Amino acid sequence: MQGRDIQTGRPHPISVAVRDIADIFGRMGFSVAHGPELEDEWHNFDALNIPADHPARDMQDTFWTKETPPRVLRTHTSPVQIRYMEKYGAPARIIVPGKVFRNEATDATHEAQFYQNEGLVVGEDITFAHLKGTLDTFFREYLGPAARVRFRPSYFSFTEPSVEVDVWFAKGAGGKGAWLEVMGAGMVHPSVLKNAGIDAKKYQGFAFGGGLERFLMVKYEIPDIRLFYSGDIRFLYGFDEKEI
Amino acid sequence: MKVSIAQLQKYFDAPLPSAEELDAVFTFHSFEIDARADDWLDISVLPNRAADCLSHRGIARELSALLSVPVARDPLRTPEPSFPKTSALRVVVEDPKKCLRYMGALMRGVKVGPSPDWLKEALGAMGQQSINNVVDAANYVMLHIGQPLHIFDVNKLSRDGDAYKIVVRSAHEGERLTTLSGEELVLSEDMLLIADGNSNTPLALAGVKGGMAALVDETTTDLVIEAASFDGPSVRRAAQSAKLFTDASLRFQNEPSSALAAYGMREVVSLIADIAGGELEGVTDVYGARAQASPARVRVSLEKINGLLGSDFSHEQVQEVFTRLAFSFDEVQGGWEITPPFERTDITIPEDLVEEVGRIIGYDTISPKILPEPSTPSDQAYFRGIERVKDFLLAQGFTEISTQTFAKDGDIILANPLDKTKPALRTTLTTNMQDALTRARRYAPRVLGPNSAPKLFEIGTIFPGDGERLAVETTEPVSDIPKIIDDGAYVPKHFALGRYTPFSIYPCMLRDIAVWTPEGTKSGEVEALIAASAGALLVRADLFDSFTKGTRVSYAFRLVFESPKRTLTDEEIHIFMEKITKALGARSGYEVR
Repeated sequence: MQGRDIQTGRPHPISVAVRDIADIFGRMGFSVAHGPELEDEWHNFDALNIPADHPARDMQDTFWTKETPPRVLRTHTSPVQIRYMEKYGAPARIIVPGKVFRNEATDATHEAQFYQNEGLVVGEDITFAHLKGTLDTFFREYLGPAARVRFRPSYFSFTEPSVEVDVWFAKGAGGKGAWLEVMGAGMVHPSVLKNAGIDAKKYQGFAFGGGLERFLMVKYEIPDIRLFYSGDIRFLYGFDEKEI
Repeated sequence: MKVSIAQLQKYFDAPLPSAEELDAVFTFHSFEIDARADDWLDISVLPNRAADCLSHRGIARELSALLSVPVARDPLRTPEPSFPKTSALRVVVEDPKKCLRYMGALMRGVKVGPSPDWLKEALGAMGQQSINNVVDAANYVMLHIGQPLHIFDVNKLSRDGDAYKIVVRSAHEGERLTTLSGEELVLSEDMLLIADGNSNTPLALAGVKGGMAALVDETTTDLVIEAASFDGPSVRRAAQSAKLFTDASLRFQNEPSSALAAYGMREVVSLIADIAGGELEGVTDVYGARAQASPARVRVSLEKINGLLGSDFSHEQVQEVFTRLAFSFDEVQGGWEITPPFERTDITIPEDLVEEVGRIIGYDTISPKILPEPSTPSDQAYFRGIERVKDFLLAQGFTEISTQTFAKDGDIILANPLDKTKPALRTTLTTNMQDALTRARRYAPRVLGPNSAPKLFEIGTIFPGDGERLAVETTEPVSDIPKIIDDGAYVPKHFALGRYTPFSIYPCMLRDIAVWTPEGTKSGEVEALIAASAGALLVRADLFDSFTKGTRVSYAFRLVFESPKRTLTDEEIHIFMEKITKALGARSGYEVR
């Protein structure tokens, strides 16, 4: 039963998560980068090694504008990798939390807009071992020292090798542990570096990215992804919350 | 793809491990397993491996590398098949970019009938139904080596003299095709068609589905067997516009090597001859893309592999991976020059080989390393500048909402909106804010308590004609909101969130109750009595008034009742209120007003 005066407002759970994420990556030297939500085809697709005939470009996945040439609502935060490297070159060490869009029917686990967090590290000798070390550190700090991370082979056109990242995660208080697929990652494809104007013979790096809502849904036992963008105060006041 | 372990076993002499063990080895070294039983696995083949692994042979080859167990029989590791030519079947390919290869075999004297039991069982195990021996042979070969095949009844084709003629051409706008499963397709010019070149009758939607016109049935004696290679994107688009996603289109859209067609042809001709009789008269092979079919040679060094993975694999370890994958290689200065087998169309750059080494040896064997010190300090100034504004508004009692980017009106219109009533990108946060506030006022008594006015804010991107930008919106004016500017020194506040408690979708009911209590009674005592007597559907109680008169203190509470399962009735609430009234009245010195 509730019944107390509330003096301060409630932060959105995405803001709460992004602040924690930015803080942990900040301690590892990551900057926070930003980019447009309305993107051109080059940054959202071509530069990321997703050619014109790729299924990801299909009308059913991507929101296109009625412009000439058409633009897209970015389908991932990865175009910010390209924009950052175009502007600042290498080395690079950034995270990109941001809103992304997919044109798919919405239900309890699918929303046409959601948040991703992207990471990119480029340097002269950045390796897959650094990707493992970085994500190990992040998940232990974010979820607690018992968090475990594992990597499985995968495929993305903008990384080679590519992996899927799972974390071992105890749901709720005293909940059972389970492996949860949380992000895709890999070593930045040399064509992507070249497309962003980086010397791919000198530099290499890793990238990772994943959605935030589904992860938070497991962490806090939120039943429906659509609640995040409902603007409904019953959702925002549905968490026990304290400032730390 | 559904993989039958019994069918997989055909490639090995050594007995395969259990489905459970196969699951683990595939998951960590190749592909995810979507589902499994004791005798099959549903393998989620990755897009870059769909060219070779949407087949039992491909999966067997993969497994051979993972388990380091030799493949005893591999139909693709035999010399390229060759066939007698025939002048009785002419093939014309209109656009060699869309049809990289078209092999047509003319086979005569076949007896169509039921398949032998072993074939019915094998197809069943791989998730397919038996149709007849000839069609089953084509499906069996496709599921085993990955080459889609199609068979036409020759007696349903037209003849020009002694010759039949197959044409691979673009469909005419509005041309019609009835498929084998009865769909009536109206074709468009971007679709590739297999047609009878003598009568111009459409026979099949290339790479997707065959048509009724040359259906193989009990009366069929002579066959044209198609083993072809089509442009992947064209097949994908045709399958999409026809809404026909078939085993053939799934494979063709991933462009298996055009060299595979000849192997598929050899296997299917031999199997048909075995189970349905008949003789191969000859094969017509139009192979415009032969030059592109030879695999790329790719060089990689040990230094490159360890330099990208951060591993310390030895020369021997790496070389063993290439051997296990059956890649032929030459040792060259500092590394290897690899010639992948023709079906491994995914191996084109050194990084592809790095991935093969990493995943086969296992990513778990690579020790994590901490990043070196960054060359420039972390810059989060703009992010922190935004969070500073949020913290300022939170401190003023505003709650942060995040709303939909899509709007009724705007300067940027979507070509393909999800919600047709909201085709534009928002140019303001005001509309969503007003809607959220209206709802917030309705829920405020439940969420915030009595007499509280909800205050909301959103910081989000808007899309006016002159370019997108971040906007700040509040439900009431705030005079001194800081501007969003870089602020690297600001430290955003952190919050710990507990488990989420879902709200009821049913309306809540409000009741007020006021009670006289003896002097010195604390409001908490009254609240505890109310809570104890009201039952579980009382979800909040807020003290909204209290005053002292003489030796008595009056407390007034607003009570909120709500069920997670249904709308409550006045009668129910009346019973709850009576219980509360009775419990309070039973206390000495208490009197419900």
